[in-house]
Amino acid sequence: MSVLTKQAPGAAATIAAGPPGRRKQGSPRRRNQRSGYLFLLPWFLGMLFTIVPFFASLYLAFTDYNLFTEPNFVGLANFQAMAEDPRLGQSLKVTFIYTFVSVPISLAVALLIALVLNRGLQGLAIYRSVYYLPSLLGGSVAIVMLWRYIFGNEGIINGFLGLFGIAGPAWVTDPNFSLSTLIVLNVWTFGSPMVIFLAGLRQVPTMYYEAASIDGASRWRQFRSITIPLISPIIFFNLIMQLIGSFQTFTQGYVMSGGTGGPADSTLFYNLYLYQKGFTEFEMGYASAMAWLLLMIIAIFTAINFIASKFWVFYDN
Amino acid sequence: MKKTATTGFSRRIFLGAAVTAAGFALSGCGGGNPPAAGGPVELNFVYWGDSNRAKMTDAAIRIFEEKNPGITVKSEYQDSGPYADKLATRFAGGNPPDVLAMANRSLLEYAQRGTLADLKTLPELNLDKVPDTVLSRGEVDGKLYGLATGVTTIGMVVNKAITDQAGVAIPDDKTWSWDDYAKFATEVTQKTGGKVYGAGYDVSTETGPILLARQRGEDFYTEDNKLGVSEDTIREWFQYSVDLRNAGGYPPAGFFEQIGGSAAQSYLAKGTVASQIIPINNFKAYNEAAGGNVVLLRMPGETTEKRRGYSADPTMLWSIAAKSKHPKEAAKLLDFLTNDSDGAAETLTQRGVPINPDVAESITAKLSPGDTAFVNMMAAIQEDELPPAYVYPKGASVVADTLKQLATEVEFGRVTPADAAKTFIEKSNAAINK
Repeated sequence: MSVLTKQAPGAAATIAAGPPGRRKQGSPRRRNQRSGYLFLLPWFLGMLFTIVPFFASLYLAFTDYNLFTEPNFVGLANFQAMAEDPRLGQSLKVTFIYTFVSVPISLAVALLIALVLNRGLQGLAIYRSVYYLPSLLGGSVAIVMLWRYIFGNEGIINGFLGLFGIAGPAWVTDPNFSLSTLIVLNVWTFGSPMVIFLAGLRQVPTMYYEAASIDGASRWRQFRSITIPLISPIIFFNLIMQLIGSFQTFTQGYVMSGGTGGPADSTLFYNLYLYQKGFTEFEMGYASAMAWLLLMIIAIFTAINFIASKFWVFYDN
Repeated sequence: MKKTATTGFSRRIFLGAAVTAAGFALSGCGGGNPPAAGGPVELNFVYWGDSNRAKMTDAAIRIFEEKNPGITVKSEYQDSGPYADKLATRFAGGNPPDVLAMANRSLLEYAQRGTLADLKTLPELNLDKVPDTVLSRGEVDGKLYGLATGVTTIGMVVNKAITDQAGVAIPDDKTWSWDDYAKFATEVTQKTGGKVYGAGYDVSTETGPILLARQRGEDFYTEDNKLGVSEDTIREWFQYSVDLRNAGGYPPAGFFEQIGGSAAQSYLAKGTVASQIIPINNFKAYNEAAGGNVVLLRMPGETTEKRRGYSADPTMLWSIAAKSKHPKEAAKLLDFLTNDSDGAAETLTQRGVPINPDVAESITAKLSPGDTAFVNMMAAIQEDELPPAYVYPKGASVVADTLKQLATEVEFGRVTPADAAKTFIEKSNAAINK
């Protein structure tokens, strides 16, 4: 049991500490810290490339920068304009619906499939890969194009419905359905939370289940009282990552609508609108202000989640 | 150490990961480096189009390079969507191309931000043969920022193979009205048993309502760069498509998935619609894609409305970046593209009828029947005097997007044509007057 607890950090410390006995090593805590920073090094290096645009965009958010001429400071004008921009409201609506519908569903599906796979199937590695594959592809242009065809008027979905005499709607071009089509695409890419769930499930000691069985607990009871609490940090992690990811959705909306956010702004994701503002309407100051609003929104939702997590996430350390 | 199992995750990891992920939301774009000077001049020349257009353009460029030793041309082409995006980032990064193709609706977005050169200040570019009506389409405040690559207009193409089989006569396009077109389209749908829709034009492209506005005595865009079209005309434009759909002549909502794509992907080529509005410089491609029995017609309403709606419009415009390091050489290339018959012999009417009449004349013998039909129609519509047309104002790309969005809302019955027209005028005025 205790091996399980400290396995990963211990292994890391061994690598990071270097040849033993060269000089006096710090406390295990110090060593752990050092190895921690070593693991964070790629992130720090990457940060060098994002830190400049990061602060540049903060400055530009308060200017009328139009890409071509020198930016002029305009105070809060961009933020005031945002409050009155109906398309901004529409883009927030699209993004919120997308996030709050697709994230819970895709997490539920991911957990369900992970539970099934965790029961020790033959050829687990193959299933795992098969279910993970969409995650690698889902954000790609090619898959969104493929999705367009699958859901197209002559696509296999409507072809299948046609077998039963049902005339399917125009999934892609009808503004009443286009966003649902993208939500289905997002749910389909449940692979990466699934793999993380699977890793978590494998670390739940079987002795708990054995003990619970002896006490006569049902499967459902075991799932609720053992599995869920023990993997709750992982559910939390997946929830946060999926939320952040879907708030930032761009490719799906861009490719599906040919960059317009159409039909009728029904797939106008926040980031897509931001992009249009910056690069087709040349209002980069406004687009920068939008980026900061998105950061605020993500930060608020993440903060809410962290606060709420105190009541349902179970940390054992 | 507590003797219990954990999953090895901690709060700190979550916070770090979450902040990292959120940080990516804010990264923007970088800049580019200016090319090194010295030695022979290399011009960067960019345009949008397909591989066929590129092949013809490359052939012309080779002739230019032969005629102008010391200048090499590095050209790039893309589809129009990504082209527009890339162009914006290149200008923003301070690394614009020297010579570039510009859409009518984007010209003033760029020009009024000081990014384009005034072509009249470049003596290497000879504009003597270019008609004033063409110059005015790239001009604002007496400065010329864009020069038409050629002229074209819109027309109605009808697949005669379908109408013959259905036994529907095509009305005389010199005198047909919008009502005649609606009757014709509805009849085609009926007589083909609904297999083919009579009409399949794109409601959301601005060239249609621009023509209708002119026929109704309005300028869609006025001489002083404002929106001139009336709410009533836009309502009429939307209402016409709704009525035509209700009558059966136009396909149901959601039928068109990728309207406005290439000729080969068009619904005319697929044979699911019998007629479509196209920029007529593409007639040859549509005719070939749809089986070779396509006829090119004038737009309806040219004699039945208040006045003529047609105008000879720039297919696209050539511009030179204000920041070009080689404005002389860039002007030479533009002069070649405009006034050189040898170059035009390669590009033919790919970007519209050449604007220099002598050049246009010199290539007539080399044209295929499809292109000849296009050139003849361009000449025929200009025989009568046409009302003047003006450069698209700044904000025209927002107008185009607004039209597209509202056309879909109307298509699916989410707003009435009257409400859509009202919104269109409000949003367009806001974008143009900003």
